[in-house]
Amino acid sequence: MVVKPNTTPDLEALRELFRHHIESFDYMSDKGLEILFQSIKGIHVHDSFTNKNLRIWVENPKLHRPAKELLSKTMHGDLLPYKCRQAKISYTGSLKADVYFQWDGGAPIAQEFDFGQFPIMLKSKLCHLRDADPQKLVSKKEESSEMGGYFILNGLERVVRLLILPKRNYPMSMVRNSFSDRREGYTDKAVVIRCERKNQSSVTVKVYYLRNGSARLGFWIQGREYLLPAGVVLKALVDTTDHEIYESLTCCCSEKDEREKGAVATQLVGERAKIILDEVRNLSLFTRLQCLEHIGEHFQAAMDGLENESYSGVANAVLEEYIFVHLDNNYEKFNLLIFMLHKLFSLVDQTSVPDNPDSLQNQEVLLPGHLITIYLKEKLEDWLRRAKKLLQDEINNKSKNFDFCNLAHVKKVLDKNPVKQVSSAVENMLKTGRLVTKSGLDLQQRAGFTVQAERLNFLRFLSHFRAVHRGASFAGLRTTTVRKLLPESWGFLCPVHTPDGEPCGLLNHMTSNCRVTSYFGSEGDVRDFKKIRRDIRSFLIGAGMMSLQPMLVKVGPPKFLSVLIDGHVVGSIASSLVENVVANLRKLKVSADTMIPDDLEVGYVPLSLGGAYPGLYLFTSPARFVRPVRNILSPEKSQNIELVGPFEQVFMEIRCPDGKDGGRQNAFPATHEEIHPTGMLSVVANLTPWSDHNQSPRNMYQCQMAKQTMAFSSQAIHFRADQKLYHLQTPQTPIVRTSTYTRYGIDEYPTGTNAIVAVLAYTGYDMEDAMILNKSSVERGLCHGQIYQTETLDLSDQSSRSERSQRMFRRSNVDKSMHSLIDSDGLPYVGQMIRPNEPYCCIYDEVTSSTKTNKRKGSEPVIVDYVAVDVKNKKPLQKVNIRFRHPRNPVIGDKFSSRHGQKGVCSQLWPDIDMPFSGVTGMRPDLIINPHAFPSRMTIAMLLESVAAKGGSLKGKFLDATPFSSSVKKEDGETGPKPGSLVDELGEMLKEKGFNYHGLEVLYSGVYGTELTCEIFIGPVYYQRLRHMVSDKFQVRSTGTVDQVTRQPIKGRKFGGGIRFGEMERDSLLAHGAAYLLHDRLHTCSDYHIADVCSLCGSILTTSFLQQQKRAVREIGGLPPARAPKKVTCHACQTSKGMETVAMPYVFRYLAAELAAMNIKMTLQISNSAELSN
Amino acid sequence: MDGGVTYQRFPKLKIREMRDDVVKFELRETDASMANALRRVMIAEVPTVAIDLVEIEVNSTVLNDEFIAHRLGLIPLTSDRAMSMRFSRDCDACDGDGQCEFCSVEFHLRAKCLTDQTLDVTSKDLYSSDHTVVPVDFSDPNEPGEQRGIIIVKLRRGQELRLRAIARKGIGKDHAKWSPAATVTFMYEPMIRINEDLMENLSLEDKRSWVESSPTKVFDIDPVTQQVVVVDPEAYTYDDEVIKKAEAMGKPGLVEIEAKEDSFIFTVESTGAVKASQLVLNAIEILKQKLDAVRLSDDTVEADDQFGELGAHMRGG
Repeated sequence: MVVKPNTTPDLEALRELFRHHIESFDYMSDKGLEILFQSIKGIHVHDSFTNKNLRIWVENPKLHRPAKELLSKTMHGDLLPYKCRQAKISYTGSLKADVYFQWDGGAPIAQEFDFGQFPIMLKSKLCHLRDADPQKLVSKKEESSEMGGYFILNGLERVVRLLILPKRNYPMSMVRNSFSDRREGYTDKAVVIRCERKNQSSVTVKVYYLRNGSARLGFWIQGREYLLPAGVVLKALVDTTDHEIYESLTCCCSEKDEREKGAVATQLVGERAKIILDEVRNLSLFTRLQCLEHIGEHFQAAMDGLENESYSGVANAVLEEYIFVHLDNNYEKFNLLIFMLHKLFSLVDQTSVPDNPDSLQNQEVLLPGHLITIYLKEKLEDWLRRAKKLLQDEINNKSKNFDFCNLAHVKKVLDKNPVKQVSSAVENMLKTGRLVTKSGLDLQQRAGFTVQAERLNFLRFLSHFRAVHRGASFAGLRTTTVRKLLPESWGFLCPVHTPDGEPCGLLNHMTSNCRVTSYFGSEGDVRDFKKIRRDIRSFLIGAGMMSLQPMLVKVGPPKFLSVLIDGHVVGSIASSLVENVVANLRKLKVSADTMIPDDLEVGYVPLSLGGAYPGLYLFTSPARFVRPVRNILSPEKSQNIELVGPFEQVFMEIRCPDGKDGGRQNAFPATHEEIHPTGMLSVVANLTPWSDHNQSPRNMYQCQMAKQTMAFSSQAIHFRADQKLYHLQTPQTPIVRTSTYTRYGIDEYPTGTNAIVAVLAYTGYDMEDAMILNKSSVERGLCHGQIYQTETLDLSDQSSRSERSQRMFRRSNVDKSMHSLIDSDGLPYVGQMIRPNEPYCCIYDEVTSSTKTNKRKGSEPVIVDYVAVDVKNKKPLQKVNIRFRHPRNPVIGDKFSSRHGQKGVCSQLWPDIDMPFSGVTGMRPDLIINPHAFPSRMTIAMLLESVAAKGGSLKGKFLDATPFSSSVKKEDGETGPKPGSLVDELGEMLKEKGFNYHGLEVLYSGVYGTELTCEIFIGPVYYQRLRHMVSDKFQVRSTGTVDQVTRQPIKGRKFGGGIRFGEMERDSLLAHGAAYLLHDRLHTCSDYHIADVCSLCGSILTTSFLQQQKRAVREIGGLPPARAPKKVTCHACQTSKGMETVAMPYVFRYLAAELAAMNIKMTLQISNSAELSN
Repeated sequence: MDGGVTYQRFPKLKIREMRDDVVKFELRETDASMANALRRVMIAEVPTVAIDLVEIEVNSTVLNDEFIAHRLGLIPLTSDRAMSMRFSRDCDACDGDGQCEFCSVEFHLRAKCLTDQTLDVTSKDLYSSDHTVVPVDFSDPNEPGEQRGIIIVKLRRGQELRLRAIARKGIGKDHAKWSPAATVTFMYEPMIRINEDLMENLSLEDKRSWVESSPTKVFDIDPVTQQVVVVDPEAYTYDDEVIKKAEAMGKPGLVEIEAKEDSFIFTVESTGAVKASQLVLNAIEILKQKLDAVRLSDDTVEADDQFGELGAHMRGG
């Protein structure tokens, strides 16, 4: 056996996959909470009686590390994640913050409030496992490679699902039919910007184009959209003249440029500007103040807490809080609005195309920390609002014992609105994934934000953290446009790793080297975005940008390009200079010692004829996708990895590292180079050996199946209490593997077995994707496994608590029959086998002094693996985890698959001696599959794997099967193996060891001992056992429960129901003429019923049994009394003369009854078949 | 009977190589059915003793009870006595509880790790109640110091394993753990005829490339005469590579290879439970018993009328 010397894998690569989750949470706990609390405006309560004002606001949030509940003084200590998993509690730390009270501008009084238990992400800065090395992790009963990134809530591990959002602070031009339905006169065109505040909450502003040439500004307040004329907003923002606005709006057009490349404006722009200004004049608004008052007047009702503010104050608040909230001052907002109007007009004039909202170019991602922050903000504001209402009510009630100026009294009132619910709301959101919100938080969906991180196997677990969802609202859409794989997502989202079926294309996975930008710099410091932006700006000014700050020159494309940094128009730059500036920026980006961050997105949209709206868009913001590529223009070889984003990538020239130009020739010389072609695949897709030789859907299927594999799910399995855990007993490391396998240390959690696979049609049991397993191989342990299932019993939290019944685990001394299964403490013996319907624990109720046993359900015997008790309180045992082990060794009907989307069901466990054998080695295959599995599916890589693994096992070494390795130029300038030479390489290896070049072998029939007529392709292939097993699925029934109404068998495996013998099945029996069988299935075995029918009136509903009259029957000595015949009469006919019995399905009778309820009478005409023939 | 063909033949067996765990022999003058029957019996029907029942007293190891029981079952036990033992289902002397010397052997295992060093529990820790049935010793006689038992489980400090196991006689057909054979295989003896005339016409280069087309070393070129000679006909795997090569070179019929229908070369590898040579003998014995069972059974006598002549033939007529 070869043991590899390197046993501790490098976890850094693995950590990178989880980083975005943890960093977003870290930022929240480090800085985000503080910024959030600061941004929340306090409340003012006014007591009209005493005429005093009270201001309440919150500050200084402190999030603590998870600690144990202090039940007694002696118990104290850290709450560790494994304890939470076992005790089914949440991993939370307390959130504390100061609440300030200030009366009439006096000295504020700070009071620390406990905001409750706040969920803590594992491995975040507040987690006890942070910075723990593998040894320490193991000592804390975790996986040695625990990566964190999830929350533990009620013992369940939940991950926040990454969601696609529109890119923040980027004005996007859109065409949507729904826009024209807004109101009369609206067109379907608009420019939309999703602005994000510093506290990460966002407001979307839309600038609609009206048919009359004007524009409207639309934004949402409390679930309602408000629309403002653009001119009013422009005037309200800055003290300016109509002339200046006109100039700004028309600066981008000049007569001679009109037909030139890159021109965006037409002569119509001037007309539109006039209309916009006329609109304002028509409202008789001339000055800024008038505009503000106009806005304030309309918004006073909509704005909360500004009832007493002046109109202009309200207007200022509206402008500040809802319009372009990412910008600080009104000049900037004015400039941005002008820019957006330019873009809108250009869209209308078709000098630029709309941006595609489904393309990754215009998207970013919602991270856990950000979601929690904005949700917390809403909940805090809710709390303050409610507090205000409570205080106001108290004042209005004028109760005697309430003193408004007394802090204690105020606090008492506030206690009616417990502040702890703020954290529990966050916890509930993470538990259920549902947002309880009025405003909607500018998000498209309310539910599905979190999912459970299943540890079915490591790949599935890992995929939860790499999955990116497009949004639940798109799932119901009839169109498939959102699901399309767009070229913009190249390198960021894996084209292979998406499920087929309903969520196809909506649930994507990030590629293995895709990252998400965060608030943290490379040194782990929180970034100062203000400073970064300032630095970039001063660099740009140095490079020739004209600053827009004092509005001096008005210029537009094609001569000048606007420059936006994070949605802030900072100036314009001559289009002749811009290429140079971009190149310089990229140079600075790559070099480490500049203030330009390495993940700056330099989105240079060049001038084009009717293409995207040109400009230089720079993004420094977090939550963007980035990926590393090699900058080949960079002078230093060591420092040439540049992070590029999806926005800029579209306009860049990135070549494949095969040393060729990719058809660019000299027209568009490449500036960048991919690091490795496998960078376009996700981690799971990267594990498929030689996936470049497979038909692409097969690789997709493999990604699905890898995540359904029963594998070595956890190393700390003994300390876990998951509801269901699949475990493979004897996993192996694959002989043929990709470089990704080693990089991420998948060996810690192997997912399959190297099985000797022969490809031949043998016995016929391998038809149609069935496969034959060698019985002896299975007996020796091939694919053995078990399911661990945990039953948690908590006597204290059930509904019976209210009855005050004191229940405990105790064995009944009366019933001795269970003593072989249950110990004296009422719990099962560890190691005991429990069969279905046998008791596994016994509960004693002190009040009723009765015992109750819990019985095993299901159809298979289980073994008690582990019993854990909660000894937190001294009282009798209340909480218990009992873990059962279901042995699940392969049986007929279990599902297996190779790593190439080739799944199959075991159809026989074939005796070893009957398997074909090799005359040379005596080897018998573990597994036989049918050759028909290959031609139509074209999984060439599986054949290659078989040959390679054979060679590898003969040589005693692992083989590298990284896809696309032939299209990578080696360091020494030589390309990898020449195309087609992979087979040669593998074939030579076999030949060297005396085997057939193509992996064929002469096999002999195990039954006859004669040579099989053709040579058989045989070799080791890594096989996965899938979690779908017959034991969980088989369904048997002869008789059993029936439906109450129809008396037909019920459905559902759980209830012992049957399988529907449906219409198509009926058709097939009809076609066969199997009438008797049909009658048996649909009648005899279903709802057979003998009905009494009155042949006179033809009714089956009016019949009833005649009450047997107690007639004095004359006893005849010695004989039993004659059984009176059942008397049935017809109510309608008042006679029992024409009664007949007819066999019919019971539903027929039901139908008659239903029809009768609708006043429809159904009559049967009964006649003898003999009469019929007459 | 009168003038009927008799199928009786007298197979010959020639031993080529015999070691404890491997035996190689030639079987001649019989046919594939005989050879394959022998192979099948060796794999699936020669009885051995293997652990079949495990009673676990304490198990605080990382492996679960079934896993350990499964591992114990797969440990080969010396089973020279197995042929004379009884199957516990046929044993009249006992009720199959493991106390009976005719059908079962009891084992005990007690291991606890008390140090910080990982303790390997191996087959050496199994204590047998019968010295003739013990775990197979794989230690190298040349290196007496090295203990090479089969690892059952590894223990960390504080972990303990205590169990009682009962080994029983069984056959590989029932469970692979009772199979005494690691590998049994046979091949037909090839007959290789080189067409010397055609071969003469080949250049040395062609000869060399033809010789090298076979993945196994069957042919070689005589360094003196530069003629192609068959060095090891048995290395030929019937892969037809040389024939295909000859055809590709445009010289079909360069070589003729035929499998002799009536001679087989056997390779038998034992798990150690029974000596390889004994395995062959046991297999023949069992094959004989099986034939006897067919011949002597009352049913077959009764069924004679149905079988007619064949029935008489079976009775040895």
